[in-house]
Amino acid sequence: MSETVIPNFSQQNQIDIGACYNRDTGVLDRRIFADEQIYRLELKKIFGRAWNFMCHESQLPRPGSFFMNYIGEDEVIVVRDRAQKINVLLNSCPHRGNTVCRAELGTTNSFFCSYHGWNFDLDGSLVGMPGEEPFYRNGLQKSAWGLTPAAKVESYRGFVFATLDPAAPALVDYLGWVGRLGIDIMASQGDLEFLDGVHKNRIKCNWKIAVDNLYDWYHVKVSHGTALKLGIVQEEYMSPMSQMVMLGEYGHGIGGPGLTEAEQLDFDARMAGASGTTRWFDGPASARRDPAIRTQLGPVGTRSFGHPNIFPNLWVSITQQLCLRIPRGPFETELWWFNYLPKGLSANDRRRAVFAQNHMFGPAGFLEQDDGENWSHSTRGARGTFGQTLPLNFSMGKGQDVMSRDPSGQSRIETVVNEHGQRWTYQSWQDWMQADSWPELMARHSMPPQGSV
Amino acid sequence: MARSGSATPTPPSSPPSTPPSTPNLATRMQRRFEAEEFLFHEAALLDGRRFDEWLNLLTDDIHYWMPIRRTTQAREVALEFTAPGGMAFFDDNKDILTLRVQRLSVGRAWAEDPPSRTRRLITNVCVADADDHSLTVHSNFHLHRSRLNSEEDTWFGRREDMLRRTDEGLKLARRHIFLDQTVILAQNMSSLF
Repeated sequence: MSETVIPNFSQQNQIDIGACYNRDTGVLDRRIFADEQIYRLELKKIFGRAWNFMCHESQLPRPGSFFMNYIGEDEVIVVRDRAQKINVLLNSCPHRGNTVCRAELGTTNSFFCSYHGWNFDLDGSLVGMPGEEPFYRNGLQKSAWGLTPAAKVESYRGFVFATLDPAAPALVDYLGWVGRLGIDIMASQGDLEFLDGVHKNRIKCNWKIAVDNLYDWYHVKVSHGTALKLGIVQEEYMSPMSQMVMLGEYGHGIGGPGLTEAEQLDFDARMAGASGTTRWFDGPASARRDPAIRTQLGPVGTRSFGHPNIFPNLWVSITQQLCLRIPRGPFETELWWFNYLPKGLSANDRRRAVFAQNHMFGPAGFLEQDDGENWSHSTRGARGTFGQTLPLNFSMGKGQDVMSRDPSGQSRIETVVNEHGQRWTYQSWQDWMQADSWPELMARHSMPPQGSV
Repeated sequence: MARSGSATPTPPSSPPSTPPSTPNLATRMQRRFEAEEFLFHEAALLDGRRFDEWLNLLTDDIHYWMPIRRTTQAREVALEFTAPGGMAFFDDNKDILTLRVQRLSVGRAWAEDPPSRTRRLITNVCVADADDHSLTVHSNFHLHRSRLNSEEDTWFGRREDMLRRTDEGLKLARRHIFLDQTVILAQNMSSLF
C-alpha cells in the first residue's frame, strides 16, 4: 500500500469528491461522514435519483391500503388505488405544503388536508376543495394541483421501488444481476408475506457507516462477541474462512459467507447419501436443495449466504429481514427492520421464525444492540477538526484477490474476510456524487472489475 | 389527514382501571402496598445493576412483551400495537431474559460497557385485579438512561404486570410494556423495562 496523504487544514472548506476515496490505496476521507454540504448533495444526487425501496406488495392488501416511507428526507405515501395500481405520492399538499397523511400505515378512501380541506384521491389527483366555486370562482385547474407522484414506481418480484428521477433506467436494469439476485434470494423462499410491524429506531450515525457495515464480516467476533459467547449465533457460520463477494453496477453488492465449489460438491454428495461429516453450511445450504431455486439463483448465487445491499440503503439480511437505512441528517440514521416469511408455514415453524426475527435485529435484538454504539462513535470520530484530517483505512484484501467469471456468466470473488464490498460502495458513491444526471451516471459509472481486485 | 368511514374504532389496550371497589379500604391499601413494595424493590435492583437478583424475582413461566407501537388514524387505533405473537421489541421468556442478563457479564456487551446509569420512576400504581394467587398491577414508568459523558435516553410508558404469590413471596409472572414512542429515539434498548 502506498503512503497515505494527510490533507492539510486549508483544504477543509472545499471537499473534492474525486479525492475523498482513493481507489488505488483504499483510503477514505472521513469528512464524508460529517459534512453538511456533502449530506445535502447526497439527498439530491443519490436518494433523489436512485430507486428507493418503498415496501412489499403484501403490505398493501387492498385499495386504500397505505404505508408511509421516505425518499431521503421527503416523506412519501405508498398507496394502492382503486385500479390496484401502487402510487408513491409526496406527502405534501400543494396549497401550503402541509402533510395530508399523518399515520404510518392504514386504510383510507382519500387523503384530506387538515389545514383547508383539499382532498386527494388515492392516485393523488385533487378531487376538490372547500370554496371551489365561491372563493376560487371555479378558476383553479384541479388537474394541475394534485399530490406530486414519484417519477416512476416499479416492482420486482413484489418488492416496490420508486424513483424521483424520470431519467432513471427501468428498475430491473438498475438492479442488474447482483441487485436482482439479492431480491431473488428472498423471493426464492416462496410466496412472501411481510409481517405486521416494522422495528424502527434512530442511531446517531451517518447512513453510510450503517451501509458499509452490512458487508463487514470482520466486526462480528468483536462487535457481536456476546452473541457468539452465549451461543446465540454459530461462530463457524458467522465468520467462516470462505467468503464470496459479488459486485454490481451502480453500487449494488453481495458479500459474506459463501460455499466454495469444493464445499458445495461435498454438501451435494452428503445429501445424495454419501458419507461425510456435518459442516457449518448444512443448515443454510439445505434451503437451496430445490433444483428450481438453484436455477433461479445460478450456480454462484446458490453458494452465496452473504448480505446483499440494494444501493443505496436496503440491506437484505440472511435472517428473513431487511433493513432500510433512512438518512436523518449527517449525524443520524433511522433503521427500519422489515420482517417477512414464506406463506403457508406451519404454526410452529412460523412461531419459531418470528421468535428468531424478534431477537436477532431491531434495537433490543441480541445482534444489533451493540452496533449502534460502534456506529455512533465512528461517526463521532469524523467530527473533530484534527480528526477530520486523518484518513480511514479500507484496504483489507485489496490487490490480493481475483474477480472471476463463472461459465454461467456470474462473477464473484472467492476469498476470506475482506473489504471489497465497502470499497465498491465508496467508489460507486463517488460515481453518483460526481454525475450531474442519470445519462451522465449511466455513461460514467464504474463497471464491476474483472481480474485482480 | 386520511379519512374513510368504514372501520369501527376499537380501543387500544385498556387504560388502568379504577381500583376494585368491592374490597374494603384496608384490603385495598394492603394490596397496593404489596404491589408498590415489589415494583420499587425491582426497580432498585435494576437501577443498582443487581441483575441476577432481578432474575430471581421472575417466575419460570414469565412472559415479557413489548409490542411495536405505530401512529395511526384515530379511527384505526386498533392497529396501534402489533398483535401478541407477532413482531415485537421484546417477546421474551425466562431463557431469553436470562441471556439478556448473562450478556452483560461475558464481556464485549458494548451497549452496556461502560455501564449505563439508569433511573426508573414507577408511578400511578394501581391493582386492577386480585385473587388469592395473584395481583394484576398497572403502573406508569419513566426510564431514564444516562451513558458516557453526554448521552441521554428517556422512555415513558405503562406496564400491565401479573404478580404471582409463591412460597418465596411475590414474583413477576407477566409483564406487558406499552411504550409511548413509535420510532425508538435511542440507538438501542439494552435496558430492561
